[in-house]
Amino acid sequence: MLSLLRETTHKKIVIVIPVYNDTQTIRQVAEGLLQQAPFQIIIVDDGSAIPVNTTLQGLPIVCLRHQVNLGQGAALQTGFAYALNLQPDIIITFDADGQHAVNDLHALIQPIIQQEAEVVLGSRFIEKYNNRIPFFRNITLKTGRFVNYLFCGILLSDAHNGLRAFSRAAIEKIVITENRMAHASEILFEISRHKLRYTEVPVTVQYTTYSRQKGQSSIDSVKVLFDLILHKLFR
Amino acid sequence: MNGIQLVLLTGLAFISLYFIIRLKKRILDIVLLTGMAACAATFIIWPDLTNTIAAKFGVGRGADLVFYISILIFWFVVLKLYARIRKLEQMLTQIIREDALNKAKEPTSQSGQL
Repeated sequence: MLSLLRETTHKKIVIVIPVYNDTQTIRQVAEGLLQQAPFQIIIVDDGSAIPVNTTLQGLPIVCLRHQVNLGQGAALQTGFAYALNLQPDIIITFDADGQHAVNDLHALIQPIIQQEAEVVLGSRFIEKYNNRIPFFRNITLKTGRFVNYLFCGILLSDAHNGLRAFSRAAIEKIVITENRMAHASEILFEISRHKLRYTEVPVTVQYTTYSRQKGQSSIDSVKVLFDLILHKLFR
Repeated sequence: MNGIQLVLLTGLAFISLYFIIRLKKRILDIVLLTGMAACAATFIIWPDLTNTIAAKFGVGRGADLVFYISILIFWFVVLKLYARIRKLEQMLTQIIREDALNKAKEPTSQSGQL
């Protein structure tokens, strides 16, 4: 992790974590990140029943709170709006349920540091290590990537992964208007619309009992599809 | 004139009156609404007219034609309402986002920098 520490001394890295009722895991996730390097962490509490900042006392982070629950897409956009004021070099999105590995961050930001890409998307399908993906989740994700391809012409190996890195220039262009889960596809629309250079890097996703309970069910993907069609209709 | 015609005409009169009072400043809407109300009144008073028009469209009964057109209008209204809801949701999102950003700038014990 020394290399990650070195990167943060040269580059200003902001991590945006959308949170909705993840009071069990959020402190652990934030502490895990801060132990690795002095990141600037922005936590967006998306209207959790119990405000998450009560569990984050004493940590050097910024916590924003939506008064009502709007959805992960809206929380990310709020985090981006705040992050841009900090003039960062790199913005990372990270899930609050503890399914992402801090060890993946170094590889995630390399394409941006090397100026090979403006957007880096994590993928659990590039290398099949440690990724024991539940059967129905696997089928949904495989179908999802083709749906994304139909809608925006970008064929990724993973349809929906919360671990991403953006250059500041990319975040200045990307605007998320889909409040709920369709934001993942909307980010691809925006990449395509602004002709941003993107790449995928392999990441691990740990399916804990908690993250599976908290995460989306396969039925939710039908809602995402419905939101996408309406997004195209009402643009 | 039979009972159902009286009921329908009374309902139509009330609905038209309600909309005309609400839309008193929008001429185009009033013209459109008056036209639709006149059309509805004509079909209520002379229901056989719908049969004649339905036959021209290749539909068996006038009531069926009215039903099919109603389905189309229903979907149009659903989409219009959905577009309105999305617009409202965007406005709400904007307000909540600004509130969240403003409160982060002024850290307190409840929100902002910890």
